[in-house]
Amino acid sequence: MSTLSEAVGSVEPNDTPPRGLWRQGLTVFCENRLALVGLGLFVLLAGVCFLGPLVYQTDQVHTDLTAVYLAPGEQGHLLGTDGVGYDQLGRLMLGGQTSIIVGLAAGVLATIVGTLLGAIAGFFGGWVDAAVMRVVDAMMSIPSLFLFMLLAAIVTPSAPMLILIIGAFAWLGPARLVRGEALTLRSREYVQAMRGMGGTGGRAVRRHIIPNAIGTVIVNATFQVADAILYVAYLSFLGLGIPPPAANWGGMLSDGLADTYSGHWWLLYPPGIAIILIVLAFNFIGDGLRDAFEVRLRRR
Amino acid sequence: MTSRIPGRALRGAVAAAATIALGAGLVGCGDNSGSSEDGGSQGKDTVTVAFRTPNWILPISAPGFTQGENAIFGQALYRSLYQYRLDGTAQYNIDPQRSMAEPPQVSNGGRTLTITLKDNSWSDGTPITTRDIQFWYDLVTANKDKWASYRAGGFPDNVEKWSIEDEKTFSITTTEVYNTAWFVDNQLNRITPLPQHVWDKDSATAEVSDLASSPEGAKKVFDFLTAAAKDPKTYDSNELWQVNSGAWKLEEYVPNGEVTLAAQPNYSGTDKPKLSKVVLRPFTSDDAEFNVLRAGDIDYGYVPAANMSQTSYLESKGYTVSPWYGWSITYLQLNYNNPKSGVLFKQPYLRQSLQMLIDQPTISKVIWSDTAAPTCGPVPAKPGTNTDAAGCAYSFDPAKSKELLESHGWKVTPDGQTTCQSPGTGPNQCGEGIAAGTPLEFTVTSQTGFAATTKMFAEIKSQMAKLGIQLTIKEVPDSVAVTPTCKPTEASCSWDMSFFGSQGSWYYPAFASGERLFATDAPVNLGSYSNPEADKLIEATQFAGDESALTAYNDFLARDLPVLWMPNPVYQVSAYRSGLQGVEPQDPMNLMYFQDWSWK
Repeated sequence: MSTLSEAVGSVEPNDTPPRGLWRQGLTVFCENRLALVGLGLFVLLAGVCFLGPLVYQTDQVHTDLTAVYLAPGEQGHLLGTDGVGYDQLGRLMLGGQTSIIVGLAAGVLATIVGTLLGAIAGFFGGWVDAAVMRVVDAMMSIPSLFLFMLLAAIVTPSAPMLILIIGAFAWLGPARLVRGEALTLRSREYVQAMRGMGGTGGRAVRRHIIPNAIGTVIVNATFQVADAILYVAYLSFLGLGIPPPAANWGGMLSDGLADTYSGHWWLLYPPGIAIILIVLAFNFIGDGLRDAFEVRLRRR
Repeated sequence: MTSRIPGRALRGAVAAAATIALGAGLVGCGDNSGSSEDGGSQGKDTVTVAFRTPNWILPISAPGFTQGENAIFGQALYRSLYQYRLDGTAQYNIDPQRSMAEPPQVSNGGRTLTITLKDNSWSDGTPITTRDIQFWYDLVTANKDKWASYRAGGFPDNVEKWSIEDEKTFSITTTEVYNTAWFVDNQLNRITPLPQHVWDKDSATAEVSDLASSPEGAKKVFDFLTAAAKDPKTYDSNELWQVNSGAWKLEEYVPNGEVTLAAQPNYSGTDKPKLSKVVLRPFTSDDAEFNVLRAGDIDYGYVPAANMSQTSYLESKGYTVSPWYGWSITYLQLNYNNPKSGVLFKQPYLRQSLQMLIDQPTISKVIWSDTAAPTCGPVPAKPGTNTDAAGCAYSFDPAKSKELLESHGWKVTPDGQTTCQSPGTGPNQCGEGIAAGTPLEFTVTSQTGFAATTKMFAEIKSQMAKLGIQLTIKEVPDSVAVTPTCKPTEASCSWDMSFFGSQGSWYYPAFASGERLFATDAPVNLGSYSNPEADKLIEATQFAGDESALTAYNDFLARDLPVLWMPNPVYQVSAYRSGLQGVEPQDPMNLMYFQDWSWK
């Protein structure tokens, strides 16, 4: 009872205006320490990869066979050199740029395609839904890594090509999620009212279905990015990545393994650790965003 | 609200961490990972060998099936008439012990070679006679267009008369007086007695007859045998392949997997097998092979170039590490028939410029860990020698390369794109068919699975980029298959450069002439190089009575650059258990004689 009394007693007129939805979400996100750590990690890694080369300048185009396999610290190479004399730290930055750009672009592409198709399938239903979802089911029945490998073996891998390849198959997850949301949203009163006033299906999808599913979409997008970075790493590890002198962390990890027995640890651990950190970062961010969007909805 | 590590994050992190952990584990193994000296040996009468799965059993080579492993596999089951060795001790390089015939007797002013067979028999006890040689001759003569060793004008076109004297003797009269050493080493090396009494039929159920005696019949028999050879899953069950002349018989064959050879109890040669079984085990990559070798699970394997620093470790674990030098050359094939890049490759100055950007000595030393040596011309250096490029016509010289381009009308843009500035055919212009603005950009089709090859092309690409020559490296599992000989109008002619020399591009027979490689329309002239002067010199090597023609041919092609000469790696750096005897000397012509092997 005392608890009830205290609770009732605490209800007082509130003169402060309600906080904005985005601000509420940001507050909740900031309360998630791991999400902040993830964001910090991402900013740090992206900063090192994209701004680092401005400070730590290395030649990542020309090989130097007089400086192969230098240990960390030797001749001014902070992380040593690889088997053709590339500075390993500089290469890590260059490889990170590729991994992050391809991961982000492929994740965004998959999210956009998946969201659009999922929303259309869920809202219109009928044969449109059946057709889209059967395609999704069919493609999901084949392991995506196998499909990526097949395509990467057929075409010459490049950064844009990898984005297209990964994006072309990674949209299946978002499509399913958004379709589920659309199935729920299409029967809501405001959607029905809009349709009753002559609004088109396209407008309903554009103005109501997608905006109201945006929380799910954004959360999923972070996971898509993390998955895409891992796929880039997988493909490069299997020798199907972007050919040298371009670099990415998966390819560096693969090359590093070949030198493992020779004790050149600096070729193996840094790219491996970088992959772990970037994937963890995106997953933590995604987790934080999920909390933020869920809480925001609950408080509204 | 609670902080937690999401499941997805964990999965992703675990996947990556597992990879790291694996690597860490491997690194952590350092020099004290457990493996016993005897571990992996399947008993003292068996040996396990790292070996690609052969995919051709018929001892008549077919286009696309000429890989080294097929030759070794074929020789184990079906001996060639002559075996060769390059130690300089025998007449015509013929190995008198292993060969199935005495060295040929030359008569008729050098045009007739009379050959007498030694006493040998098939594994079913039937004697090997000239009937089996005639059967082989009938098949290749009627089906020479399907025989990988055929070249127009070569064997059997250069045979005027083929006659069987008796069961043990036959003679060959040639159309011209050839250099006997060349004819014995490079033409007679193809003769392989075939079991006529088992194979002379056109279906599995047909009775053996003299069907191949007629050209039509020979075509039918050849088609039947070829169809059986293209069905690897039946290799160990098809009765055709059960009668052998070699020291081994096929006990088990798994397509793309392990192959087991068992000692042939009825082998009639003098070099009887000392082991009872040889297990040939394939691996998907150098790394996979080396992991197993290091764990001591195979008796004979190889050390990839990237792992040469592990030599002492392997030796401490009871392996002998020994480079296998080949009678070989290595090169980067240029496609003269490519509609775009062909006109560029036809310019000698451009080939010279490109050659001067390949630092063969340094690549051999640093990237191949001293297991490669520069190639300077078409005739190989004596195996194990010539570790510098002193004898090369065009040594590494980027400044001279640049000068050469600029003096021929190219605007060299370091780290940019070099283009033709002065089109035309004058001495200071780019050359015939090269338009203004033509860029110097090429794609190299290389091999996957060889770390040293990848690094080598990274280095070459880097050197070329310094002169604005853009090289794109495309790695494929089988670079020969996707860079065929072609006509400019064919879609398959879009390749620029092809590399298939991670274990040496070409292994010569005993006489290193170039009629199969660099003569116009030669069967392995993938890039369609053609130079009348080269043809003349190549032909001369077939007729000259001494080495001078070979020297002249080598000197001309070393300068003319039909291909770009590349560091020639050893076939492999073999690692075998120290208790395994008879492995040495490793045959420079890339054959393996398992019958010599035994355990101490």
